[in-house]
Amino acid sequence: MSKQVIIIGGGIAGMKTASTLESMGVSTLVIEREKNIGGKLNNWDRLFPTFTPASEVLDRLVDEYKKSGSRLMCSTNVEHIDAQGKGVTLSDGQKLTADAIVVASGFELFDATIKEEYGYGIYDNVVTSVDLEQMFKQGKVLTKQGEAPKRVAILHCVGSRDEKVNQNHCSRVCCVTGVKQAIEIKQLYPDCEVYNLYMDMRMFGPGYEELYRESQQKYGINHIRGRISEAAQTIDGRVKIKAEDTLVGRPLRMTVDMLVLMVGFCAGRSNRVFSADCGLDLRLSNFMKPRNPFDLSNITACDGVFLVGTVKAPKNISETLHDATSCSHSVLDYLKNR
Amino acid sequence: MNTYFHPFVIPFSLGVLFLFATLIFKYVRWYLGLTSDEKLLIRKSLFTVKSLKAVKECFTECLLHLKIYKVNLRLGYMHMSLAFGWFLLILVGQLETATYLANDFVPLYVHVFFRYFFPIAPEGVVHNIDYAPLMDALLLIILISVGLAMTKRLKSKLLGMKKTTRHTLGDRLALSSLWLIFPARLLAESATCGAHGGGSFLTSSVGDLMANICPVDMIELPLWWLYSIVLGIFMVSLPFSRYLHIFAEIPHIFLKNYGVRAKNEKSTVDDFQIAACSRCGICIDPCQMQSSAGVNNMQSVYFLRDCRQGTLEYKTADNCLMCGRCEQRCPVGIDLNTIRLNRRQGTLLRLGTNPYSYANQLDTSSGSGKVGYFAGCMTSLSPRILHSMDRIFESARENVWNADRDGGICCGRPLMLAGDIDGARKMMQMNTELFRKHQIETLVTSCPICLKVFKEEYNLQGIRVLHHSEYILELISQGRLSVKNNGNLVTYHDPCELGRGSGIYAAPREVIEAVASLREADEHSEHSLCCGSSLANTVIGTPQAYKIASDAAACFESTGAQTLITSCPLCKKAFAKVSQIPVKDLSELVCESLICK
Amino acid sequence: MKWGYNIVTKRSIDLDANDMTIALKLQEAEESLISCIACGCCTATCTAGNLTDFNFRQLHTLVRRGEYDKAREEAEKCMLCGKCFIICPRGINTRNVILTLRRIL
Repeated sequence: MSKQVIIIGGGIAGMKTASTLESMGVSTLVIEREKNIGGKLNNWDRLFPTFTPASEVLDRLVDEYKKSGSRLMCSTNVEHIDAQGKGVTLSDGQKLTADAIVVASGFELFDATIKEEYGYGIYDNVVTSVDLEQMFKQGKVLTKQGEAPKRVAILHCVGSRDEKVNQNHCSRVCCVTGVKQAIEIKQLYPDCEVYNLYMDMRMFGPGYEELYRESQQKYGINHIRGRISEAAQTIDGRVKIKAEDTLVGRPLRMTVDMLVLMVGFCAGRSNRVFSADCGLDLRLSNFMKPRNPFDLSNITACDGVFLVGTVKAPKNISETLHDATSCSHSVLDYLKNR
Repeated sequence: MNTYFHPFVIPFSLGVLFLFATLIFKYVRWYLGLTSDEKLLIRKSLFTVKSLKAVKECFTECLLHLKIYKVNLRLGYMHMSLAFGWFLLILVGQLETATYLANDFVPLYVHVFFRYFFPIAPEGVVHNIDYAPLMDALLLIILISVGLAMTKRLKSKLLGMKKTTRHTLGDRLALSSLWLIFPARLLAESATCGAHGGGSFLTSSVGDLMANICPVDMIELPLWWLYSIVLGIFMVSLPFSRYLHIFAEIPHIFLKNYGVRAKNEKSTVDDFQIAACSRCGICIDPCQMQSSAGVNNMQSVYFLRDCRQGTLEYKTADNCLMCGRCEQRCPVGIDLNTIRLNRRQGTLLRLGTNPYSYANQLDTSSGSGKVGYFAGCMTSLSPRILHSMDRIFESARENVWNADRDGGICCGRPLMLAGDIDGARKMMQMNTELFRKHQIETLVTSCPICLKVFKEEYNLQGIRVLHHSEYILELISQGRLSVKNNGNLVTYHDPCELGRGSGIYAAPREVIEAVASLREADEHSEHSLCCGSSLANTVIGTPQAYKIASDAAACFESTGAQTLITSCPLCKKAFAKVSQIPVKDLSELVCESLICK
Repeated sequence: MKWGYNIVTKRSIDLDANDMTIALKLQEAEESLISCIACGCCTATCTAGNLTDFNFRQLHTLVRRGEYDKAREEAEKCMLCGKCFIICPRGINTRNVILTLRRIL
């Protein structure tokens, strides 16, 4: 079969879809906006719930992709999808045609500066979960003052479940990420007090609940049910936070050396553009909406345009990879029947 | 002396008697309800130039309606032709009778039904002017304006503008009779002219026409009866309808010129003003609750109507942003926000005498200096403003006493806006004591809501109250703050409480011009749009508030500016959620442009 | 004198016995309240709650369960400053909840 499929996005969803399709005899072209493939996983150190290095998983996926024979265009932006879903326009104006298009453009991280009251970008020691992961990668977690933190607060749901920032959805993976990062801080600094401030602990995946229990039993991590309303900086550069301990029903004040914001998933900016281009449906928070979330979860209202991965909703890695396999089959069915 | 009389004049005469008796009763009752200060002010101003000004304003507003002209030409013409036309008709009619009857005293109805008693000039009367064509022309003008009024009602109904207008019986009677008065007059006069001759281009030709098709001498009297009856009905229903504004506007204009305005205390000034509303509906168009949030029952015209009818629900009174856009346009100059605030009072009863006693003697302030900084509750949720103000104070080497950095108490304005004046006074007292205790000389705030209440309700004699825009401007012009112009193109949103609320338009603009380049939105300064998050509205939900914000944000985005600047933490929050361009407080913009010494 | 029993103040929230009239009235007056996820931001940021034992989240939750004891006095402690309204991630019109409680209780 000499069919050509364009895959927008070279993150794990795009790569996996490409290599699966190639293995089924469909030639693919992956268009990635960054210099390298791999997407957001490039910025991650270790993965929940097993603390497997992200590079291990990523290397395997990249290797598989490279061997698959798929063509790759990096540092290239897809500006538009054709109204009929039969091609794309690149940022340099070049037009490419294809028999099918797979949108694997992923998500964007919530910009924590929007939640101004937490002081990200203003205070010295307010960081995001992504910043913290970078610190883990470099092997040291230090405050701006260059010291090892003695007390860290990890705030869940920053840019998730929050109407005030147009993010009504749950980003799903932050709960377990918060627990994972708390444990990692403890592994680095066993004497450090670590607090998770959460609203609900959504431990949906295999091994997640166990990780949660381990964080309590093995690492003595504190879990406080309450969302931080605001933070302020003390004279010595620490962060003073205000929350309610909702289980006790009283306001809670605490000064920490570092406040970590668990930033959620935001819909990619291109979602609105692509949606307007060829009539794809969007959810409330601008994530892409497939025909249905059950048996047609990779198929869109536009014939020949498919969805895969976190462009639809927040997902963890395994879900994304499963989705890529599922999407490949949907694409193949479509190509066969044409 | 001739006695002119016919029984058909009775309905009219009774109507007039009733009307003036009612008016006098209302005016006397309202006057007595004024506070002694207000009465004193009236007595003092009665024989001053203010009265002359009021007379002039009565002429330009009650008759010519110049302010309505400024807003809407067509509407202005309609109001003017009806009011001024009718006034001229009465005046010229008066001159005409005076000419015919020399100086004989005759009852009022003779002037009104003049044409019946004198179809043609009596013998021996010498008159230089033939009034008939003039009277006909005036009648024609009024008839046209009645036609316009009818079309307006039908058309605005089609547009859905007044779909919620519930007419009372009084309104319906008055409106129907008003519309009938002038056609009835035309028919009656024309019948008389058809039967006895006289009249001019309008009445005589209509009269001739009528004479050709029916026995005019037989229908002449019934028509005059009709004219008198509709006049009578109009007069009787007037005090119970919106047309009371015709008479209520006159004392209102005088009171306004004497400086007797609605304020936060029990007084009947509100009654004068409420009655003076003509329900022209000019307040509807600028209202964002209508244009953005789709709410159609709380605009000032409806609010005042409900006040008059005694059918006001607190939901109507509470469902207003109090942005002041309607007040700014009101051609009658009614103190819409104050009246609404007064109506919110009393809906919140208190059990305890002082539920805020927990905050007595509270002092969480820090630092010391002659300048006090009151960030305000909302500002504490916007650390970028706090941070910028810190940098600005530091850069100007100002010693600052921080009133509420570690959580003070509220300024009281939100409680006031909700109608709980007593509660608000407790806050004001506690804050005033705090300011006095630390002996500050200048009070700077970043929140226009606090600013307004500090200026208007607090007794802070000896303390200058400044919004941070004014304070920053002062620092720049004194050379205490060095800034550079980054040349960024920005647009500016006037917060309602700062602009229309406190009249501060120039200071923030001058500051912006010093550090960036300003491009105004279509609706700016006193016409500026509200952000929709106003604390004054406790009824609308977040979706409606954000709809208002995003419509307003679109107006700012269309300027092509890179950044939207505002100077209220609440407005900033509201716009930040919906704006496509970054939103910053004025202090942040200045902070970015500081030249560190 | 010993009666063999004491008058015990009730401990449980008895949803079988509680009169829900006011709870329903409150819900009707401010529909957005139903979407509260009890994150506690309102109480954390509360100007009054910083100074006294005033807890907006607890107050409205109790009222919604049909527990009206002292609710009116509690509601009066609020300064209506609006911080909770700004911070609430569910966009609940918190100030109207307080105003409604002061009117219907």
